[in-house]
Amino acid sequence: MSKKNIEHIIELSNELRWQIGDDFHDNLTEGIYADAANIVRDSVQTEKGKKRFRLDSKIDKIVTSKTFGFPIMFLILGVVLWLTIIGANYPSSMLANLLLDTIHPALKSGASNIGMPWWLDGFLIDGVYLAVAWVIAVMLPPMAIFFPMFTLLEDFGYLPRVAFNLDNLFKKSGAHGKQALTMSMGFGCNAAGIVATRIIDSPRERLIAIITNNFSLCNGRWPTQILIATIFIGAVVPSSFSSVAALLSVIGIAVLGMAFMFLTSWGLSKTVLKGEVSTFNLELPPYRPPRFWRTLYTSLIDRTLIVLWRAIVFAAPAGAVIWLICNIHVSGDVSIAAWLIDSFDGFGWLLGLNGVILLAYIVAIPANEIVIPTILMLTVLATGMSGGEGAGVMFELDSISATGDVLRAGGWTLLTAINLMLFSLLHNPCSTTIYTIYKETKSAKWTAVASILPVILGFIVTFLVAQIWRLF
Amino acid sequence: MQTKVVKSACETCAHFNAEGLKKLGIHAENFDFVVALAGNPNTGKSTVFNALTGLRQHTGNWPGKTVTRAEGGFQYNEQKYKLVDLPGTYSLLSTSTDEEVARDFLLFGRPDVTVIVADANRLERNLNLVLQILEITDKAVLCLNLMDEAKRNSIVIDQRVLAKDLGIPVVATSARYKEGIPELIQTISEVANGTIVCKPHRIKNVSPNIEKAVKKLSKEIEKEFPGIANSRWIAFRLLEGDSQIIEALKTGELV
Amino acid sequence: MNDYNPISALIIFFGIAILLFLLFRPTKGWFWLLQKNFKSNEKVIIEDILKQLYHFENSGNKVDTRTLVEVLNFKNKRIVEAIKKMSINDLVYFDKDALKLTEEGHEYALRIIRVHRLWERYLADKTGFHKNEWHDRAERMEHKLSHDETNKLASQLGNPKFDPHGDPIPTKTGKIADIEGVELPRLPVNSIARITHIEDEPEVIYKQILAENIHIGSLLKVVENNNTRIVFHSEGEEFVLAPIVASNLTVLPIEKEVVIEENIARLSGLQENEMAEIIGISKESRGESRRRLLDLGFVKGSKIKIDLLNPLGEPHAYLVKGTSIALRKDQASKILIKKSEHAD
Repeated sequence: MSKKNIEHIIELSNELRWQIGDDFHDNLTEGIYADAANIVRDSVQTEKGKKRFRLDSKIDKIVTSKTFGFPIMFLILGVVLWLTIIGANYPSSMLANLLLDTIHPALKSGASNIGMPWWLDGFLIDGVYLAVAWVIAVMLPPMAIFFPMFTLLEDFGYLPRVAFNLDNLFKKSGAHGKQALTMSMGFGCNAAGIVATRIIDSPRERLIAIITNNFSLCNGRWPTQILIATIFIGAVVPSSFSSVAALLSVIGIAVLGMAFMFLTSWGLSKTVLKGEVSTFNLELPPYRPPRFWRTLYTSLIDRTLIVLWRAIVFAAPAGAVIWLICNIHVSGDVSIAAWLIDSFDGFGWLLGLNGVILLAYIVAIPANEIVIPTILMLTVLATGMSGGEGAGVMFELDSISATGDVLRAGGWTLLTAINLMLFSLLHNPCSTTIYTIYKETKSAKWTAVASILPVILGFIVTFLVAQIWRLF
Repeated sequence: MQTKVVKSACETCAHFNAEGLKKLGIHAENFDFVVALAGNPNTGKSTVFNALTGLRQHTGNWPGKTVTRAEGGFQYNEQKYKLVDLPGTYSLLSTSTDEEVARDFLLFGRPDVTVIVADANRLERNLNLVLQILEITDKAVLCLNLMDEAKRNSIVIDQRVLAKDLGIPVVATSARYKEGIPELIQTISEVANGTIVCKPHRIKNVSPNIEKAVKKLSKEIEKEFPGIANSRWIAFRLLEGDSQIIEALKTGELV
Repeated sequence: MNDYNPISALIIFFGIAILLFLLFRPTKGWFWLLQKNFKSNEKVIIEDILKQLYHFENSGNKVDTRTLVEVLNFKNKRIVEAIKKMSINDLVYFDKDALKLTEEGHEYALRIIRVHRLWERYLADKTGFHKNEWHDRAERMEHKLSHDETNKLASQLGNPKFDPHGDPIPTKTGKIADIEGVELPRLPVNSIARITHIEDEPEVIYKQILAENIHIGSLLKVVENNNTRIVFHSEGEEFVLAPIVASNLTVLPIEKEVVIEENIARLSGLQENEMAEIIGISKESRGESRRRLLDLGFVKGSKIKIDLLNPLGEPHAYLVKGTSIALRKDQASKILIKKSEHAD
């Protein structure tokens, strides 16, 4: 092989390319399909007159019809979410009982029996163990219910029809219909939603789907929303309506998230992502009966456990950090946490929040699941009230009204609650998600955009709400 | 519909040595052959992969699930095969990431056998990819999958004519029900060991001026790299101005 | 925080928001304007002058300093300074009043044009920018790319010979191909030709052409040609242009007998229960999206019909080669079809 000859071949190819013109690809593809048609004519026999896949097209006609298309879609999404939220309650509390109320005290007493120094036992058991246990207890059950259901729909072939039905909405904001699915997946877990954007093969639309996935309220945030709405929103209406009001406000937040998703998609496609290539294709595959047990197994392994493992990896050091900032003192007996809360208070107040919430969101970047326990612990720490398990030990209270009392003692008002709900929707993605974004885009730039954009939106929205609230 | 695993006719016949088969999952070290698994999206490619390796890769009914390459292995008659599941693509001529992954592996990974999984219900559409792959490699097996659905749709395929037209062995399977998998393994091993020699189909229906250019170019390429199997395909890519292939040509990676 | 007042907080917030908008709004933001002003240093002015001189010389016009001042968007003084510097560096010389390029200046100008056209090609083939933006972006890029970067870009793009408007791209060594063909108004009635070039200046006329569905590479057939108007058919549509607009189109007459299909319709116009055969894909669809369509089986000769209508109006799903594939309206409108007489 000689360099000169290779150069000659390349030169020749350049020359020939211009001789045959730019129809080459068209011509070649047409040629291949012509060959394919010849071969098929030789070897394939189809029964004449038989309509293709009768059952398939019947199902298709119904799920994409003007009358039934949308109701069926919302019904299915509603059922899936309802089953997830309601169905997860029971196993979640069982896991919490086991990991937080049984194993945690046992570990503590075991540690003191073998004479472990208080700081090591606090760091490992109250910090690392507790954070991990919390993430597992809150995260595992909903994901273990949500993902298999979603995967069953996927295997059946229904999801491409959803993308088909909704594409026009997404097109208007410069996105791809398949984003409907990655968005729904985000209701389960944003990290999983971002992995799912692989089904979008157009670069621009895929980036849009990745960056805006965080606007889907994930499993880690539903409990926060429900808890805060029950305590504060439920309290402003007559008690017979309180659960309905709480539910409606949570749904309102989720819908607001979708509105932000569309708005941001539109903005991104018109500005920073304008130059990315955009193509559209969507194949509607035939329906296939899913295999139930196999799906259960693979969705547990592929989605739930992988995401859970990532969350644990990130939650462990977060637990350590939370414990450390509460137990390391900067001057006299002021811990780092107390000092930080104090310095964030002004800015927090401007946003209608407080220092505790901001600090909780900073240390709880790894997982939204530990935001509420952290807030409670920090509130107790900052107000110096009795209760809680000690500095740096996250906790949750069994009764909702007791939780409300702690928060009100921490200076919470209805505004704080509303803005916390807004901020819980509009803040940076958790570190598992950020890491996943980086892995999927392999670009620090887009990871930064996806991480910072929502938190800026959160600041702006909560700020505006707080000012307008205070006007009246 | 049949749900039980049906014993295939060939599992008892002389060719297939059932005792010689061992599914290796992901533990495929020191393998003797590399087998690539290519095909259109949504042809049950991952199901074939799982059936061959005993793994349980997720197989969504959704085009483009396998974005990264999955690997697994099996052992048959004392020989170890490493199986690489490539992303499902419609073609190898465009520039999407999936297609690049698939194409790079076929071209630079140089698999000993390429199993092309095709949907028997949509053969014509699937042949687009098949014919492109046959320009790249000359050791291939066509796995005609989803035969159960084809039967339901009253589609009858004359496998012998198809095999003759394509110049490669054709195996009918319903990977979901493990039908045809033993025959597929047997055929893979025969192609790998050279018992079956393929004479792959070459794309014929291209317009005369292109054919002339391709001939001219591939002749030059063959002069430079004697014995190269896919000179025509390289010529196609050069005519399209594929910078990756030009680069590979310069560095000598192609041979 | 006692002196805090939500109204002043809101006023400060909106003040900042408006300021940020004014600074960073697309293209007209102050920040971009300042940046542009700051960047239009001597190099840019010199290169722009070279380019203008090249174009003027090519069209056989004489240029003096005044014409340059009129054409270029720079301050008078800076242009004069730049010309002074250029003549010192042997890039230009004065032939009486007229400004002319030296051989060196000519080479330099070709290099700039090469970058500009290559970059337009790049934008057209590898990015999603709209065609309205290609020119302006290339205008900025042509001053930035180094010699090596340009060559690398060229080889990545497969050493293209023409930019997306059909203008030839100068080679590494400064060779430049000719645009083949004649101006459209010179074509007799009934002749068939392929569009090879669309002149992008003056901008007013170019914008008019862009607004029409006219694309490089597509075939046309002249049906009427007189002093007041030129009428032609291309890709199933009829176009009526004033001769002055039409003369911005260069076309290459096709000698060989080609069949130009009559009664071409667009896939977007197909009704439910109608059958059709694909004739081809409009030249408007290009690059990656064109290849995708082809790979998905939207090739000449494929039978096609609507499989599913959409509750929201689009996309429709089309049945082609045994598979149902959804296309948006704008994609479907780029697929040329011929409806079958009988539905089967």
